[in-house]
Amino acid sequence: MSHFLKNISDALYAAILEENRYLFYLEGIKVTIIVSLLAILLGVAIGLLVAVVKVASANNKKLWLLNKICNIYTTVIRATPAIVQLLILSNLIFTSRNSNEILVAALCFGINSGAYVAEIIRAGLESIDKGQMEAGRSLGFTYIQTMKLIIIPQAIKNILPALGNEFITLIKETSIAGVVAVTDLTKAAQYIGSVTWDVLTPLLIAAACYLVMVLGLTKLLGIFERRLAQGDRN
Amino acid sequence: MIVTKNLQKSFKGHEVLKGIDQTIEKGEKVVIIGPSGSGKSTFLRCLNLLEEPTAGEIWFEGNNITDKKTDINLLRQKMGMVFQQFNLFPHITVKQNITLAPVKLGVMTQEEADRKAEELLQRVGLPDKANQYPNQLSGGQKQRIAIARALAMNPDVMLFDEPTSALDPEMVGEVLGLMKQLADEGMTMVVVTHEMGFAKEVASRVLFIDEGVVKEEAAPEEFFGNPKDERLKEFLSKVL
Repeated sequence: MSHFLKNISDALYAAILEENRYLFYLEGIKVTIIVSLLAILLGVAIGLLVAVVKVASANNKKLWLLNKICNIYTTVIRATPAIVQLLILSNLIFTSRNSNEILVAALCFGINSGAYVAEIIRAGLESIDKGQMEAGRSLGFTYIQTMKLIIIPQAIKNILPALGNEFITLIKETSIAGVVAVTDLTKAAQYIGSVTWDVLTPLLIAAACYLVMVLGLTKLLGIFERRLAQGDRN
Repeated sequence: MIVTKNLQKSFKGHEVLKGIDQTIEKGEKVVIIGPSGSGKSTFLRCLNLLEEPTAGEIWFEGNNITDKKTDINLLRQKMGMVFQQFNLFPHITVKQNITLAPVKLGVMTQEEADRKAEELLQRVGLPDKANQYPNQLSGGQKQRIAIARALAMNPDVMLFDEPTSALDPEMVGEVLGLMKQLADEGMTMVVVTHEMGFAKEVASRVLFIDEGVVKEEAAPEEFFGNPKDERLKEFLSKVL
C-alpha cells in the first residue's frame, strides 16, 4: 500500500513540481482560456448576425442572397470536422512564419462555433409565438424595436441553456489546437509526459483542469439563468 | 376614417379577399361575421397591414397606408388591435405591458404612462393586477388587459379579431361588457366575432363576409330581421 502511494506521489512530483513544471499547465490553461474566450466572443457575434439574417429573411425577400450565404456557411461548418477546418485554415491561409497560432486557432474556433450559435439563436427566436411580433407591430413598434423589446428578452431564456452547452463544448474542443502548434492545456500535458516518460499523470491532471473550468462555467451560467427566470412565474 | 378600395389578398395563389370596398366612418361600430375561412379575419388584419394586400388600396385618416412611402408604424399607433390569443407580453408585468408602447415610442413619459395605466386598469376593472405577470391571470382578465394595452396609445380606432373565441364561456361576458362600454363612449370599432348577441346590441352596421366578398351589409335590425342573401340566411339559421 505504502509502495503504491509512494509511486503516486513520485509521479505527481515529477508531473507537477519537478523543474517547476506546473508553470507549463498554467501557461496551457491561459492559452486554452484565451482561445476559448476569443472564440466565444467571435462565435456569438457571428451567430447573432447569421441568426438575425435567417429569421428576418422569412419576411423580407430582399435578404435572400445573404440568407443563402448564411445557409451555406452553417451547412458547411456543421458538416465538416473542426480539426479539418483548423488544419485547412492554418495551412491554407496563414502560411506566414510569423502568424500568431493562438489567433489562428481562436479565429477558427470562433468561425466554427458561430455556425452552432446561429442555429441555437435562430431556434430560440423562432420558439417565440408569432403573435408576440404581431402584437408589438400592432402597437406601432418597428420590426427592430419589437425584436429588441419583446422577442429577444423572451428568447434569451430559451437560448441561454443551449448556448451554455455550446460554450462547454467549445472549451473542450480547443484541445485539438495542438495540431497547429498551439501550446494549450492538452499540448502542455503531452509535452510534460514526453519529458517525464509518464504520459498518463499529466493527462489526468489536464482532465482535472478541464473539469474545473467547465464546472466553473456551468455554475456561472446557472446564476445567469436564475436571474433571468425572475420574471417567469407560471 | 378607414376606406378600402377593391381590397384583395391571396396566399400562394389562393384568393382570400376578392375585392372589398368599404368605408368606415368615425364613431361607427362595424361588426363582421361570416363562416370560418371566409376572409373576415384577413380583412381586419389588412386594415393595419399585418397582412399586406395583394391589390387595392386602404386609406386611414387621409393616408394611403398601402403606399410604400407611408410610415405604417406611425399610423399603427392610432389603430389599436386586440387578438384572439391576447398576445400579452409574458416577460413583463401587466402594468409594463400597458406602458411599454407609449413610453418606448415617445408618446408619454414614464410618469404619464404610469398614471394612464392605473386609470386604464381601473376602467377594465383590474386595478389590483398591476404588478402581476400575464400568466397569473385568467383568459378574460388577459383579454381585458390586452384591451387596456391597446387603449394606452389613445387609438382612433380599435380592431378586434375574434376577441372572445379563445375564452371559457363564463369569461366571454366580462370582455363583451368592456367592449360595449367602449362602444358607448364613442370609440370607432371594427369587430370580427361570432357573438351574434353583441352584433345585435352594439353594431351600427353588420357585414357578412363569405368567399372573400361582402355578401350583405345592413344595420343589425335589418341584417338579422330581414336577411336577403341566401348564404346569409343559411348561416344565420345555423348560428341563431
